[in-house]
Amino acid sequence: MSNSLGVRARPDRVTGAAPPAPPRRRSSGLTGLAYAAPAAVIVALFFLLPLGLVVWMSLNKWPLLAPPTFNAPGNYTQIADNALVLDAVVFTLKYTAVVTVLLFSVAFGLALLVQHRRPGIGFFRGAFFLPAAVGWATATLLFFGLLSDQIGPLNDLLEGIGLIDAPVSWTAGDPAVAFGSTVTLVIWRWAGFNMLILLTGLQAIPNEIYEAARVDGASAFQAFRRITLPLMRPTIALVLCLMITGSLLGFEQFYILTRGGPGSSTTSVVMVIVREAFVRFNLGSAAAMSVLVLAALVLLNALQLAFIRRRNS
Amino acid sequence: MDMPRRLGALLAAALLVTSCGGAETPPAGESPASQAPAAVTIKVWTRAATESHTKALAEAYNAAHTNKVEVTAYPNEEYPAKIATAAGAKNLPDLFASDVVFAPNYVSQGLWTDVTERFGALPYKDKVAPAHIKEATQDGKIYAVPHTVDVSVLFLNKALYTKAGLDPEKPPTSLKEMAEQATTIREKIGGDTYGTYFGGNCGGCNVFTLWPSVWAEGGDVMNPEGTQSTVDGPQMAAVFDVYRKLFEAGVAAPGSKEENGTTWLGALQAGNIGVAPGPSAWLGLLEEKGIDVGVAPIPGVNGGTSTFVGGDVIGISATTQQAEAAWDFLAFTLSDKVQGDLQAKSRSTVARTDLTATDPRVQTMNEVMAVGRTPYALKFNESYNDSQSPWLKTLRDALFGADPAGALKAGAATITASLNQQ
Amino acid sequence: MRRPAYYAGMAVLSLLFVYPIVWSGWSSVRLGDAFSLDSYRKLAEYGEGVGVYLTNTVILVLFTVAGTLLVATFAGYAFARFRFPGKGLLFVLILAILMVPYPTILIPLYVLLGWLGLQDSLLGLALVMIMFQLPFAVFMMRNAFESVPRTLDEAAMIDGCGSFGALVRVLLPAVVPGLVTVGLFAFLASWNDYVAPLILISSNERFTLPVAVVNMRLHNFGAVDYPTMQAGVVFMALPCLAIFLLLQRYYVRGFMSGALRG
Repeated sequence: MSNSLGVRARPDRVTGAAPPAPPRRRSSGLTGLAYAAPAAVIVALFFLLPLGLVVWMSLNKWPLLAPPTFNAPGNYTQIADNALVLDAVVFTLKYTAVVTVLLFSVAFGLALLVQHRRPGIGFFRGAFFLPAAVGWATATLLFFGLLSDQIGPLNDLLEGIGLIDAPVSWTAGDPAVAFGSTVTLVIWRWAGFNMLILLTGLQAIPNEIYEAARVDGASAFQAFRRITLPLMRPTIALVLCLMITGSLLGFEQFYILTRGGPGSSTTSVVMVIVREAFVRFNLGSAAAMSVLVLAALVLLNALQLAFIRRRNS
Repeated sequence: MDMPRRLGALLAAALLVTSCGGAETPPAGESPASQAPAAVTIKVWTRAATESHTKALAEAYNAAHTNKVEVTAYPNEEYPAKIATAAGAKNLPDLFASDVVFAPNYVSQGLWTDVTERFGALPYKDKVAPAHIKEATQDGKIYAVPHTVDVSVLFLNKALYTKAGLDPEKPPTSLKEMAEQATTIREKIGGDTYGTYFGGNCGGCNVFTLWPSVWAEGGDVMNPEGTQSTVDGPQMAAVFDVYRKLFEAGVAAPGSKEENGTTWLGALQAGNIGVAPGPSAWLGLLEEKGIDVGVAPIPGVNGGTSTFVGGDVIGISATTQQAEAAWDFLAFTLSDKVQGDLQAKSRSTVARTDLTATDPRVQTMNEVMAVGRTPYALKFNESYNDSQSPWLKTLRDALFGADPAGALKAGAATITASLNQQ
Repeated sequence: MRRPAYYAGMAVLSLLFVYPIVWSGWSSVRLGDAFSLDSYRKLAEYGEGVGVYLTNTVILVLFTVAGTLLVATFAGYAFARFRFPGKGLLFVLILAILMVPYPTILIPLYVLLGWLGLQDSLLGLALVMIMFQLPFAVFMMRNAFESVPRTLDEAAMIDGCGSFGALVRVLLPAVVPGLVTVGLFAFLASWNDYVAPLILISSNERFTLPVAVVNMRLHNFGAVDYPTMQAGVVFMALPCLAIFLLLQRYYVRGFMSGALRG
């Protein structure tokens, strides 16, 4: 039953034929509020309140036990003196750029490969999507073993085909190698998930448009550029926003796989925040960094959305 | 382990010692043990590395006391985060242990209760690992007591020594000699066998294994206040030079460069490393794998010996309501019987300096403990242990970089900055 | 594209994605060169016993999935069908949850749970997990409801249903794929999360599986017990993979109806 409804719902949305607003809307303010209330309470209690506390912490010197003392804007000005911060910002931006480009290419490529129904396609979609079912911590532990010299198959394999002479340390040796391992993990874990979102975008494009283009003599590439890309813009925007935000906040992948090393070569911004809070016990400074990161991300996403809206109109 | 049961039988005596030890007993003049109305549960936090030790002690205690001790262990790396969060919520457990080098920081944050008087009432108070007590002392007040003691020593693989034509009963007396013996083993045996091994990507490991060689010849790594790094001194340079050459010559196993501590023990347990420094607690773990292990003190480049007295201290949290009951457990863990039995069973060093061991190798460990040191710094973790610490960068540059002298000079500056960073 | 070439290429690609999971299963039953279930025995006996951690995880998952579905369904309905004061603000706030450096907000959350008397409890942890699920869940449900033609619920209203009746009788059956997707992701998140339980739970007997498994890896300092670690990975991953494959037809459709609109 749900099946037929789900399918029937689609064309209506794609053609954008929204029915005129029903009259009951005007009087439904309270009703709507009531339905939104549980979410609002959770957001207020478990997000806004703690966030407020983080902001307040960022304005204070906040020892673990002793009462805090107001020191604004000390925690913010101190950030500039922290030698790790600049490196971490540069690294995080580099990581975000690399991951966004690679992950998007892989995910979009996969989506194009599996967009048409044919025998066995469900199996391939499932295979690509499967890593998304493995939790983040689990996936990282899995790679920790997979890449280890002790039980991991990678070194033996590469030695076997003569690509390397000696075992390579994939997570703690050469910074570039550790970086590559992390990016590989991220792509493995997230490509299928993003593929699925992109796939929904692809399938929402009515086939008639492509057929019309083919009749007009457009090549496959032209159809992709003139039809697929423009119509996919909202979906692509969503995927990019998710990727960029997720990468800028990257933490667990470095924390478990490389511990930010070798040296501090894979130390992300959030890792520095965690270090401020949980290694240096400087809660005020960690809070100040969090506030800045949040502000930057809100700004970035707002710009991204505004940019896409403008191009759309 | 059957240790708990054996310990349990010996508890009456231990309990007597501890309950009399309560110096600041209530005005009624009764001992806290007899006065306690109802059994309470004492919550103890510890890191995973000491979990089995703490749990064995707790079981022994629970077997003979109405109060119960409940141990929760957390992953080593996340443990400080756990402490910080709980402290932030004013909800620390009754007792919590900590790596001894982090103790000055916890003390300065006021996370532990002052136990000076309680500790002072113990009859063996002067025989309790002095380096640990010093770490947990601030302004003449004591805030924590030793929980586990782990010293750094040299481990010799006797079979490999014999195979290479060396005398396993003549351990190296200088770092240079160690390098020679390691080189001999590598050259004579070769293949998968290497002369030595170290954690070249692990700040905490090298603090533990490398600094004793500096101290052995009167050098130092910091000023006593822990605010000024002296890693650019001549002894440090000489020590790094030895390890650097061992790696360059291929005498140290190639894995040394990437070893970040997680597979350190495993590498030694494989049985193909000739001689390497490591934590004394590993003696039993190495023998478990059928390795015939010799133990020697860590020497300086030209002679002398020293050790790093590591391990964990434990204190009563500042937020507990059950300080008296918590102290009862701590006094129990330090008592003669418990410590003596630990010594015999686990073949590791213990928190008391006045107990002699039957195994000569453990006796060696006990002896080096008396000359060993625990460096003091408020900002120890972030300066030396943490993977983003300036010490880790310094040691990697000094071991594997192009300019070791420059690396140490630069390191002294960045470490000093970290030690003073607010 | 020619068929054989296409299928060959796809087979290789699929293998790349599936191989790590298969390898993990394989290496968890290897001890040296022999087959052994030793690592699973060690896993079962670790700490309080794997049963305790499993029970805790299941309780957490039930709370989180039920809570997320309830809150997100109502919120999605409100956003798709009603106009109410603060609508835009609330939506932006929900999306902002995605942009907070997650580990730092845990300290205030720990304090807050203490105020509410939910410290060290699976219920408190579940509430936090629900909060972190909201951006995805509300977004998904809003779009799922929007993709249902309005004529459907209007007809129900004309037939005398209230807004709640229309939701339960007409709309819910129409958004089942969305509900399954939201539930699935709430399940995956709460089953797998490591940092939040580590920080917010303080007693052994209330730890969840990921904390126990990571703890177990570092149990012996200086040596990683790789096979047992992989046994832990398999044990944690298997239920996820099973549910994932079982529900595949639903969440693919859920994504179709839910994730599209920007």
